[in-house]
Amino acid sequence: MRSKSYFVFALLLVATMLLTACQQAATPIVQTVVVEKEGKTEILVVTATPAPQEPAPAGPKVLYTNFKTQGDVPSLDPAVAEDTASIQMIEELNVGLARLNEEDVTIVPGIAESWDISDDGLTYTFHLRQDVPWVKYNGTEVVKVQNCEGADRLVTAQDFEYGFLRTLKPETASPYAYVLAFAVAGAADYNNAKTDDPTTVGVKALDEATLEVKFLEDAAYNINIISLWTGYAQPKWLIEGDDCTDARGERWTETGFNQSYGPFALKEWVHDSFIALAKNPFWPGSDEIPVPTLDEINFTMLDETAAFAEYEAGNLDVILQVPQSDIDRVKADPVLSAEYVQSPALSTYYYGFNITAPVVDDVRVRRALSMAVDRQGLIDNVTKGGQEPAQWFCRPGLIACPTVADMPDLGVKFDPTEAKKLMDEYLAEKGLTVDQLDLTLMFNTSSGHQKIAEAIQQMWKDNLGVTVKLVNQEWKVYLETIKSADTPQIWRLGWNLDYPDTNNFDREVVAAGGSSNPTDENGVGTGGFFWKNDKYEELVKLAASEKDLAKRTDLYAQAEKILVWDDAVMIPIYWYTNLHTTKPYVTRTFSNTGAEHFEKWDINK
Amino acid sequence: MGRYIARRLIYLVVVLLVVSFITFTLMHSVPGGPFSREKALPKEILENLNKRYHLDEPYAVQYFRYLNDVMLPHFSTKAPVFGSLADDFLINIKLGPVYLRWMNFGPSFTSRSRTVNDIFRQQLPISMQLGFMAVLVGMLIGVPLGTLAALKQNTIFDYLGMSVAIFGVSVPVIVLGPILIWIFGVTLKWLPPTGWGAKPPYVLGLLPAKLGWDFFKYAILPAIALGLGSSAILARLTRASLLQVIREDYIRTARAKGLKESMIIVRHALKNSLIPVVTVLGPIFAAVTTGSFVTELTFGIPGMGKYFVTSITNRDYPVIMGTILLYAVFLVVANLLVDIVYAFLDPRIRYE
Repeated sequence: MRSKSYFVFALLLVATMLLTACQQAATPIVQTVVVEKEGKTEILVVTATPAPQEPAPAGPKVLYTNFKTQGDVPSLDPAVAEDTASIQMIEELNVGLARLNEEDVTIVPGIAESWDISDDGLTYTFHLRQDVPWVKYNGTEVVKVQNCEGADRLVTAQDFEYGFLRTLKPETASPYAYVLAFAVAGAADYNNAKTDDPTTVGVKALDEATLEVKFLEDAAYNINIISLWTGYAQPKWLIEGDDCTDARGERWTETGFNQSYGPFALKEWVHDSFIALAKNPFWPGSDEIPVPTLDEINFTMLDETAAFAEYEAGNLDVILQVPQSDIDRVKADPVLSAEYVQSPALSTYYYGFNITAPVVDDVRVRRALSMAVDRQGLIDNVTKGGQEPAQWFCRPGLIACPTVADMPDLGVKFDPTEAKKLMDEYLAEKGLTVDQLDLTLMFNTSSGHQKIAEAIQQMWKDNLGVTVKLVNQEWKVYLETIKSADTPQIWRLGWNLDYPDTNNFDREVVAAGGSSNPTDENGVGTGGFFWKNDKYEELVKLAASEKDLAKRTDLYAQAEKILVWDDAVMIPIYWYTNLHTTKPYVTRTFSNTGAEHFEKWDINK
Repeated sequence: MGRYIARRLIYLVVVLLVVSFITFTLMHSVPGGPFSREKALPKEILENLNKRYHLDEPYAVQYFRYLNDVMLPHFSTKAPVFGSLADDFLINIKLGPVYLRWMNFGPSFTSRSRTVNDIFRQQLPISMQLGFMAVLVGMLIGVPLGTLAALKQNTIFDYLGMSVAIFGVSVPVIVLGPILIWIFGVTLKWLPPTGWGAKPPYVLGLLPAKLGWDFFKYAILPAIALGLGSSAILARLTRASLLQVIREDYIRTARAKGLKESMIIVRHALKNSLIPVVTVLGPIFAAVTTGSFVTELTFGIPGMGKYFVTSITNRDYPVIMGTILLYAVFLVVANLLVDIVYAFLDPRIRYE
């Protein structure tokens, strides 16, 4: 009797397997159409399949897409936003004084049509265009916002001044205020509550069309920092209220209240579900920031696997991040592979060394470990997302970052023979055998990092004979560990740009006092690399104020050589890519800055 | 009965005090804070953030501030401030010139534009709608299947029913969900692969504004995926319990009296065998109506489930406290309802 029940159970089991198998068995015709163009920007371009010609619809053009990140968008308030999804929305709702061209990463005029720089390079005077109205969605359409006298409210220098000051105000508790604070005169003291007088901050509206900003340093990236979302215009009347407007306080960004002035306006934000942006017909447009062709964009907040199912079901037009687990299937599928594009993402994945820890306190060991990592093999067999093998830390594509095309021999490459030689030299000198080395690699708990760590562990075993222990910790616990005296010998991190300048990588992350190389008040290392090289510090400082791009790039190249080769304090592993799939009827650009500029997109279904 | 319920509700307050204290202690003793970042925030910025959220105060002050905000009613002559996230109470009642305000669970640290109360208002109803339907699916499949299996013990019905039950227990939602989406959403296109058919505002703060195909078409797959697991537990329990009951003397007596078989099963056997079933139904109910992480993630349902997980990884203290206290309330109330139902199922059980 029992065997009968097992038989039924077995039948069901087989049925389940068949169902699961169906899911996997996509047509196995390999047709790789992604080709790499080794141009200046190193953009990977798909060979386009002809779009099916269908009659143009009469209805509105609505694009459906998703966010790269999971869950609700944390904030649409420029003063407090800090994550990519929030910034993506804010950049479409508003425009800064200047704006980054998302493809070639150059600064183009935003609300400021032009700006003058004083001779000492510290004072910038911005001339603002006077034809940009504040708008809101009134439930049926996008309308202009009127002031209490019934006239249209236009974006003024005062709105920008208010925006800067609100971001810097200590009560706002803006996590990104420090980026302004370290660049703009007087901003730090106001943000630290050392003074409560906003006139001490070096941002002043001279009149409605002119904004003056005083900086602390004559730095090449000043214009980048002042154009960050933290410095966007904000509507004072809406946040604090006036004679004809109710104060919406911290809830001013919600559906129905939100006011903005960029190419799109907020139509609806259903938390945890979706954000819909409607075209702002009153955006005057410019060469760089055109009036949108799309009438509406709907961003759904689905988990990446669920979003990809919606894409395959035809309900989403663009996927901005294809799930890792689907990449093999996408590449093998004739339809999906034609819609699949890899584009560079300005982020770097790396392992750092605690150079005060035993064994890795010797530069030969560090360099050997770095040279023993077969980056291309890792990308082909483990990460599979078309990432690029990293030879140094800054991501090519950033302003002033060296490119592999220009400097093919810079940095570190896979070289198992040389690596073994270095390691043997070290062992002979210390009188040790390879299995006496006690090495630990730590990473934050995640199956992706686990796979990479295991692959690299194997490479070290094969190429050097070294056995490295793997340890993982939960993210926030891990962050504490690798910034403390307990920092393990080898640890993992990645870095994604705040603004597209190499300064953001080479100085703000790895120089002494940087985020991966923290120091105490006396400049003594307290975690991360525990590293300070005076020559490196000098180079990145010089590069910050150098105006000539070729010279800057060369300074960073010298700095990178110290970082990844001479001192070898880190193992650059790969440079990230974005993995998109786009339906053939969508005309689009591919952003290299992190945020897409949908005003340049079109859809022809 | 009234006194019993009152006593249990007082216990609820004690339970909440204990749970909140343990949660508060645990979450503050875990390394890492809500504002630790890959790129560590400068000291000054951290001070601003800590000050804003009162994290610069001693733990004891923070804890009692929380209890005061959440548990004690507040009376104020001032109207609630609309735009302030720090001043958002779940219950606002105007009593003449005075406002009675109760339960401020605080702002979320991660979603800078929302409070925990916003999450309760907007996400909890969705989880409850899904949870109700999943429990219903579980009961509609589980109880008849278990009954059938018990009455036709050791026949093909028994084996088939129990195989379905084993299938339900052993195939988790993380496997079943994508299979259902693939078949009915992507391939056959009968049902939408993901999403939910209702959004705020809700009727009575709970029900969708429109109940129709546009609502249910989104609910069918996730309710089945989520309900199947509990249906399996219910089926096995019903079977085991019913097998025991139908061997009881009073069933033989009923048969001897010549009652109809259907009457014996429904009125005497099934009713008495439901006690263990109802017992597990309480915790199941509390668990699925407060949000189920995997189901909601798989089917893209904007419910509460993910907040139980992400709040902890983000160290979003108010959301951690809020979700755990919510679960505690649901669990205690569900168990109280179970106890009340006992009295109806078994006349021997009395609470006085």
